[in-house]
Amino acid sequence: MSVDAPSKKPIAEAVEVPTFQITLRIERYNPEFDTESHYEDYEVTVHGTDRVLDALHTIKWDMDGSLSFRRSCAHGVCGSDAMRINGKNRLACKTLVKDVNPDKPITIEPIKGLPVEKDLIVDMEPFFDSYREIMPFLVTTGHEPTHERIQSQADKDRFDDTTKCILCAACTSSCPVFWNDGQYFGPAAIVNAHRFIFDSRDEAGDQRLQILNDKEGVWRCRTVFNCTEACPRGIEVTKAIAEVKRAIITRRV
Amino acid sequence: MTDLERHAYDVLVIGAGGSGLRAAIEAREAGLRVAIVCKSLFGKAHTVMAEGGIAASMGNSNPHDNWQVHFGDTMRGGKFLNNPRMAELHAKEAPRRVWELETYGALFDRTPEGKISQRNFGGHEYARLAHVGDRTGLELIRTLQQKIVSLQQEDEREFGDAEARLKVFMELTITELMHDGGAPDGPVSGAFGYWRESGRFVLFDAPAVVLATGGIGKSFKVTSNSWEYTGDGHALALRAGAKLINMEFVQFHPTGMVWPPSVKGILVTESVRGDGGVLRNSEGKRFMFEYVPEVFRGQYATTEEEADGWYEDPEHNKRPPELLPRDEVARAINSEVKEGRGSEHGGVFLDVSTRLPADEIKRRLPSMHHQFLELADVDITAQPMEVGPTCHYVMGGIEVDPDTGASSVPGLFAVGEVTGGMHGSNRLGGNSLGDLLVFGQRTGAGAAAYAAAASKDRPTVIDASIDAVTATAEEPFQREGGESPYTLHQELQQVMNDLVGIIRREPEMQEALDKLADIRERAAHLSVEGRRQFNPGWHLALDLRNMLQVSECVARSALERQESRGGHTREDFPGMDAKWRSVNLACHLDPATGMVQLTRQQVPTIRDDLMHLFERSELEKYFTTEELADFQDVRQGEDDQS
Repeated sequence: MSVDAPSKKPIAEAVEVPTFQITLRIERYNPEFDTESHYEDYEVTVHGTDRVLDALHTIKWDMDGSLSFRRSCAHGVCGSDAMRINGKNRLACKTLVKDVNPDKPITIEPIKGLPVEKDLIVDMEPFFDSYREIMPFLVTTGHEPTHERIQSQADKDRFDDTTKCILCAACTSSCPVFWNDGQYFGPAAIVNAHRFIFDSRDEAGDQRLQILNDKEGVWRCRTVFNCTEACPRGIEVTKAIAEVKRAIITRRV
Repeated sequence: MTDLERHAYDVLVIGAGGSGLRAAIEAREAGLRVAIVCKSLFGKAHTVMAEGGIAASMGNSNPHDNWQVHFGDTMRGGKFLNNPRMAELHAKEAPRRVWELETYGALFDRTPEGKISQRNFGGHEYARLAHVGDRTGLELIRTLQQKIVSLQQEDEREFGDAEARLKVFMELTITELMHDGGAPDGPVSGAFGYWRESGRFVLFDAPAVVLATGGIGKSFKVTSNSWEYTGDGHALALRAGAKLINMEFVQFHPTGMVWPPSVKGILVTESVRGDGGVLRNSEGKRFMFEYVPEVFRGQYATTEEEADGWYEDPEHNKRPPELLPRDEVARAINSEVKEGRGSEHGGVFLDVSTRLPADEIKRRLPSMHHQFLELADVDITAQPMEVGPTCHYVMGGIEVDPDTGASSVPGLFAVGEVTGGMHGSNRLGGNSLGDLLVFGQRTGAGAAAYAAAASKDRPTVIDASIDAVTATAEEPFQREGGESPYTLHQELQQVMNDLVGIIRREPEMQEALDKLADIRERAAHLSVEGRRQFNPGWHLALDLRNMLQVSECVARSALERQESRGGHTREDFPGMDAKWRSVNLACHLDPATGMVQLTRQQVPTIRDDLMHLFERSELEKYFTTEELADFQDVRQGEDDQS
């Protein structure tokens, strides 16, 4: 064990974190007063280690209490604070200010393709509608909860990646097909279908594949890879979509 | 009230974490019409953050495990202040609830034989936590969410309406419970709240209301809890006439991030220690060996060699002291830092990099690996983490009937973290997810039975009550020039953190009560700008009232209990006192003044057969001589001490 014994400073405040000034250019929209959105600039002092979420909190708590955005767990597990940061979909709680070119104004916008309710908050209902379409639940018969059901680690690993989804909509709202065609299921719904199609315990694979074979299903995907890049959980979204496409062809629903 | 939206249901569940969803599923499967209300988006509740696993004595890792051993561990962890019936039901029913979750579709890591893999955790005799990587809470909540979608699709087929019997109202906050005919001591008849987006007021008529709102951590500055944890359910219950017990017991999780400041308090899962991680101070010493308290002597290793041997051969070695219950580890870290052996940023070192191969760390602890890499620029496969205590869980809460979740107020039920009793003075890791499932099922059934019986003669909400709660909700807009709710909230967090935190002293708690009174007074005059539409300042103003009431309960109870036990440590009364073991402190609101009142009541007696799961020599560490006067060692069943 090689802990480098650091200087004995038991109090956190003893260590100074360098601070610097940044400008956040935030797209604001208040349906009560505005007919369309506009951008407002905020000069914020941040620590070198701060995340975009910390900067947004500083604005909300100290400068403009009306700024609205969603956040919950604040460390990338709940998936509430997906937003466009300098044009890319990211979670504000997992994006360090220093990593998004803070020398220039940092643009913060709501995720695209879903109706904006206020400021950075969008209506998630269309997103959840697509999710519900693909039957996002295990379909199985004859298994009572009186004992456990054997599943091999290998069978579990087959769909492990797509169970990491946090339904933040970063992938779906980064997809150009979704922007242009509100009917497309979008990557998140397909990822969640994948999670069941490749679960050895599930009995509704054919049904799900049929749903995704629909005209608004997987074939709309043009393999742009925006979704994979946007996923804050590192899920290989495009790969999952490709696996579903292949399953439709080979299993032939 | 022209713009009041009104709904009628049989059961109203407030909170959409694991306990609320499990209760809602049970009530819906009983055939009732159920509404779920939550402050966040559906599926984002605090349960999502649970990392470690669900404690259930399935015995997959060690065939010696059974409910009796789990019960014993839970009681020891809670220092025998637990409601024994709750601990018993939990230990007995957790395995079945896990298997049931699996039939709903939950995913777990597997043993080589394909069984559910179980991991080690603090205070648990055997590896007992069913888990999937370090995202068990996410899987639990997603599975329950999926189950609800499946029930809704059943209803769509049957009634042509997916929400015929189960509807989720998300981003809606409840501000007050309603009483039948407006009688403050009568049965509940529903709840009043507002849509966070539009600010529109909503009334739910329901004979049975289930509070599943979680905890209170947002009253503390350094916390692992998310913004929802403003003690809403605790405060709603108080104002509705219910009692809160054990509010002095607040769990400070030993390992929160301490650096950088923006992420201070964020949880570092106990699985790091369960899977082999060790704690060291700035001198490189594994200090936990110095902190094994008298009651746990003999159950924990005394040398590093023995501790390290336990991971491979638990039959012949004792557990490492890093896996003591959380209260012990948190206090130990606090002492090390205070005595100058802390890390650069005021924590200690948690190291797994020298204990497991890098690939294994990434496989078992992927979220921790990402979290430290992304937020702290630390690679946990190569470097130790800096960690320190963070406010994590409240053991105290609404007093309920263990079997049904019923509170003392007719029609009002509660489940999960918002209840008190199950965990005594300190909760073991992994027992929270079990708690949600076991008591979620029971409370859902309890509320359903009550609501079905009440269906012929439904309680009513009168207009005068609606006018009163509407006026209270709108008050912050009626004033000008008052302070900002953000300022007051930050002050409250500082007070609780500094004066009623992990180590407590009488004068500081007196000071805290004075300051809370001052903040309460100023909060009564705070003002909020703008209007009701998605107005976060207004939301906080309403939450602040809850946090202040709950914080006062914590401070008053902590001042009263003159001993140290579990999640309550008094510097001026450092020892555990057997005379206090049988005392529950209960808070209620004085109907006349609306102020918090404290009473003492007896901890429910432990049944004889449960008492005899322990040996006299162990019970003597917790109980008074008089309490054990008639107790004789009669060992029942197999020996559960390794």
